[in-house]
Amino acid sequence: MGNIAFLPIGLEVGLLVGALGILMAAVMRGCRTRDWAIIAGTAIGFGFVVSVRQWVVVGDIGPQLAYGTKGIDGSAVANQMVAMDKFGALGGMILMIVVGLVLIGSWQMITDLGTRGAEYVALILLSVAGMHMMIVSANLVMLFIGLETASLALYVIAGFLRDRRGSDESAMKYFLMGSFASALFIYGVALVFAATGSTSLYGPTSIGMFLGGNVMPDPGILLIGIALILVGLAFKMSAAPFHQWAPDVYQGASTGAVAFMSTGVKVAAVAAMVRVMYLGFFQFYDDWSMAVALIAALSILVGTATAIAQSDIKRMLAYSGVAHAGFLLVAVLAARVSLDSMWFYLATYAVSLVGMLTIVGVVAGVNSGPVSIDSFRGLGKKSPMLSVAIAVFMFSMAGIPGTSGFIAKLVVFTAADLNGFRWLVVLALLASVAGLFFYLRIIVVAFFDDTDAEETPSTPTGPRIAIGFAVAVTVLLGLWPTLLLDFAREALPHL
Amino acid sequence: MDIRVIIFIVFALAAVAGAISMVLARNPVHSAFGLLLTMFSIAVFYVMNGAHFVAAIQIMIYAGAVMTLFLFVIMFVGVDTSDEAEEHIPFQRPMAMILGAGLLILIVASGIQAWVNSRALTGRGSLGTIENVSDELFGTWLLPFEATMFLLAIAAVGTIALAQFAFTLRSTDGSDDE
Repeated sequence: MGNIAFLPIGLEVGLLVGALGILMAAVMRGCRTRDWAIIAGTAIGFGFVVSVRQWVVVGDIGPQLAYGTKGIDGSAVANQMVAMDKFGALGGMILMIVVGLVLIGSWQMITDLGTRGAEYVALILLSVAGMHMMIVSANLVMLFIGLETASLALYVIAGFLRDRRGSDESAMKYFLMGSFASALFIYGVALVFAATGSTSLYGPTSIGMFLGGNVMPDPGILLIGIALILVGLAFKMSAAPFHQWAPDVYQGASTGAVAFMSTGVKVAAVAAMVRVMYLGFFQFYDDWSMAVALIAALSILVGTATAIAQSDIKRMLAYSGVAHAGFLLVAVLAARVSLDSMWFYLATYAVSLVGMLTIVGVVAGVNSGPVSIDSFRGLGKKSPMLSVAIAVFMFSMAGIPGTSGFIAKLVVFTAADLNGFRWLVVLALLASVAGLFFYLRIIVVAFFDDTDAEETPSTPTGPRIAIGFAVAVTVLLGLWPTLLLDFAREALPHL
Repeated sequence: MDIRVIIFIVFALAAVAGAISMVLARNPVHSAFGLLLTMFSIAVFYVMNGAHFVAAIQIMIYAGAVMTLFLFVIMFVGVDTSDEAEEHIPFQRPMAMILGAGLLILIVASGIQAWVNSRALTGRGSLGTIENVSDELFGTWLLPFEATMFLLAIAAVGTIALAQFAFTLRSTDGSDDE
């Protein structure tokens, strides 16, 4: 074995200990949600501190690879499993913030669940550990296990509220289609291994080294492998044409769970895609970039066109998520010239979406399944603060200046244009304009429609904090984007 | 004649005979034992090719666990049950025959090619031993191996979480579940 250091996997270890600790607390001390909150908060805080520590250490000694083995001749350490770099550190920080916001915003649901709440929190912590594993993995096998860890927990989370109709259906759909996507992904890894003799992204025996040193006259098998890996990751971020599961799953799962599964997986899958595609298959950039561009264009078109027709807010957000998956794939292409634009888009979109879904949870109940847009009717009179927050998030997702979503689209599209994808940028811009329709419709419904409804939804403290934080981030990064952009500029993967 | 060739011929014939008897047998238990014979014979091939670990897995998982499962199902359904299989898909038989013939041609063709082009067995025969597999599993792939622990934890927690709900439903029914 090479060097054993715990810093590169400290975040995963911390979250695992936290998850097991919550389960033990539930066994030994009974149904005390306060215990679980303290443990989960500690684990997530620990994860954040570890990520910051990784950032600092990488700044001092440069990016590191860990958990490799010496080659047969005993010379070079190869086959590293985990990379510790600012790329993974920033990904860890974003994931920790997102999962923290989700738990704060939907804690009511965990209280409602009673004893089963402990399992819910534990599964969320394990799932987010898998997501971070995807971002830091330096080997395709490690990436697959991270992917499975993240998804397997999400399948259960999607079907957690079994007393509601549609919950089982949601979980089953997600499970069957997700398993299929995972199978395609691992088949792609096998084909890449067949073509190059390696699943490693780094070191002397890596895929990139093989492709750099050998000219493949007939790379058919490798290209099929790359395509299948792309499909597996595109499914997880619900990019068209692999998006059919998203609306049904989002509608059937509880709102609190949707806030987690719609944001966390996107962050992990996009970051993993950037690392794998650029580091593993850079020699075939021309081939896969065209495929990514086509998936992006299709996602943007399908997502925008279908979102217009939705009357359920979660289905609308699901299709808007498909469109955003397209924008994120544009960011993957833009990452060649500027990685900070991709990070900026990921972070701001994730925070805005968590904030928006927290509001949906407040208005319609955090355990709610389908939520009609009508439930927002007249919210502007009943609860002006919530409505202003809705306006901020919707403006941000639509890309109105003054919000972080505008800056995100601006930097991503500029970088993608610089990288030679002008047609895609034009398409994305047109779709953004069309997207205004359904984002603004929610604001119109909230502010200008009258209601005969009775009660005012009161915002509990937890969602209040989560929404307030999300609004603050969205506005602050919209006005001072350099706060994050300068930071993210350094978040490069180990080369 | 080389002893390896004799062993190969014996177990190849056994594998084919097992496969044929599995398809043709009227009694499902006989079918199951035909499959067992095939799987065991294939395990012998694995040993001959130096893949000891795969051979052990083949015996344990397929010939052991999966066969037991088959037999359980057969016993549950009843040995004497015969289902009147109605073929709903039109042209099912001709299509199956065409596909089967195509598969046979593919296998024979690739077999001939491998027979002509294949390299002689060299010292690579030891790669699949249990020592080598464990070296890889607990050396190179230690971290992914450990990370599968996350999957096991999720499976256990998820099962409990999903199954517990059905239990609470039943006990709140007022039935005598205490």
